Amino acid sequence: MAAFDLQFVWFGLVSGSLIALGALGLTLIFGILDFINIAYGEYMALGAFVAFGLNDQLGLPVAVSGALAVLAVGPLAVTLDKAVFQHFRDRSAIVLLVVSIGLSFILRNLIRIVWGSGSKRFDVPIEEAPTYFGVQILGDQVAIVGLSLLVLGGVFVLLQRTDIGIAMRAASDDADLARIRGVDTERLVLYVWLVGGVVAGIAGVMLGLDGQLRPTMGFLALIPIFAAVILGGIGDPVGAVVGGYVIGLLQELSVVVIPAEYKPLVGLVVLVVGLLTRPDGLFGEATR
Amino acid sequence: MAYATLLVTVGIIAAIYALLAIGLNIHWGDTGLLNFAHAGFFAVGAYTTTILTTPAGSGLLAERAVGFDLPVVVGVVAATVLAGAVGVVIALTSVRLEGDYLAMVTLSGAEMIRLVITNESWLTSGAQGINGIPRPASGAFPLEAGGVVVGYDLFYLGLTLAILGATFLLFRRLSTSPFGRVLHAIREDEDVPRALGKRTPMFKLKSFGLGAGIAGLAGALWAHFFFAINPTMFLPSLTFSVWAAVIIGGAGSYVGAIAGTVFLVGIRQVTRFLPSNIPLSSEIPFVRLIVIGAALIVVLYYRPQGLFGDRERMAAGQSMEGE
Repeated sequence: MAAFDLQFVWFGLVSGSLIALGALGLTLIFGILDFINIAYGEYMALGAFVAFGLNDQLGLPVAVSGALAVLAVGPLAVTLDKAVFQHFRDRSAIVLLVVSIGLSFILRNLIRIVWGSGSKRFDVPIEEAPTYFGVQILGDQVAIVGLSLLVLGGVFVLLQRTDIGIAMRAASDDADLARIRGVDTERLVLYVWLVGGVVAGIAGVMLGLDGQLRPTMGFLALIPIFAAVILGGIGDPVGAVVGGYVIGLLQELSVVVIPAEYKPLVGLVVLVVGLLTRPDGLFGEATR
Repeated sequence: MAYATLLVTVGIIAAIYALLAIGLNIHWGDTGLLNFAHAGFFAVGAYTTTILTTPAGSGLLAERAVGFDLPVVVGVVAATVLAGAVGVVIALTSVRLEGDYLAMVTLSGAEMIRLVITNESWLTSGAQGINGIPRPASGAFPLEAGGVVVGYDLFYLGLTLAILGATFLLFRRLSTSPFGRVLHAIREDEDVPRALGKRTPMFKLKSFGLGAGIAGLAGALWAHFFFAINPTMFLPSLTFSVWAAVIIGGAGSYVGAIAGTVFLVGIRQVTRFLPSNIPLSSEIPFVRLIVIGAALIVVLYYRPQGLFGDRERMAAGQSMEGE
């Protein structure tokens, strides 16, 4: 346990940004395709490792390799849908969940074969964090918070202002109604995977920037991300982002009252309490 | 000779995994509950018996303050009961939830168990793990009877197979009993048994407790055979592997649960018999997990009811089509 410190708030904002990013991509996919994609964690890990490959093994700058990796994960998510999930479209959510477990086995072990199972770091200088107002703030962390705000803003513009975004929100609310109104849902699904995959890639690169890269990094990040998605109400992007920041802040601030080793419990407790008290999410407009 | 020894060990692993699969089959196959906490129940069983049957303070780095040095039988029974109780407690928070929400809560529950085991070193020695776990009746082996020498591993294989056989018969019986028929009704459509006056949450809790208890028994058998346990043995990937075994074997069928386990353990262990100088030999552990993942997807596509599942029964969510 520790005394309250503004530092925890900053850490909470950093973790919250990471969780919010992951949750935003996942909730878009969950809202339209209506199943829990366990392999989403591996999409994030792939983003991080592709960026690592370009950065450390080819010597490209972190920003360039991160951007290229992100652009690779979007089409990859679409390809995996074409290769795997599309064939199970008419099955139940639970079959799709189990299929995604199989896919996650495949992807995670491909990562291990290509990059090994040890932990890796991006080739960025390790520097002492400068202190502002008594809070240590790393350049990487500023980049994480700033970039995630930018991405979150970008996705909201996409959802609110573009035809495809509006169609996504409509289909997430009620797929049948959207289809009756002339939304081409199969084409929409492709865009959802593309956007969801890109966001997963960004979340993965950020996650790698924040700490180390491991083949299991994506899977381990999933639990607070799911908690944020469910807290926000499935398919609700605003709820997912708010949920992400709530969980991130609670997790880091929890060290004031519980031992730091049990930080990960916060996500679980929020998940259970949230499910039992607010099954429709924070704003009560969930799709189910 | 070396191969024979290895085969006996593989047999013991398969029998223990088959117990895990039987426990999961009553959850998912019979009752339709998405339990993703199986590795957690397995861990509770392994740690319960270990703490009860070893003396305190046997760690190298972490000082463990609790240990009871009791007989193995006490440990194994307590492991089964406590794992069942933990299963009921996790289920209490979440039986009201829809299918895939339950999956998330149970998955997080198992991670919570692992977190506690890793951090409470006064009880579990933490990440360092516990070794020196006693083997039951180890003094009596190797036993020489009529010119045939029975080694300890062979005895343990017999023991686990006997327990597996008894569990198999019990659970298959349970599945066709009136109790089991209510579970099947819950799986198909919970409203129907409820309309008939069955208290379905109670049935779900019992199903959860029974399956978790068997996972705890499997954990105890694991700990007493392998001498040593540590938290990394109980990762979520273990839960997913057992799921793969149940789905490939055929959800709802206990023969299938065992067949799926044999397939799974076969893929995981058979590669140990390959020579180590072939190309990519260091990547074999990863390749076989890829094979298991691919097998899972292929089976769900071509044979959704699994190898031994009955198409009429719910085969991995078939009857939930159009939901």
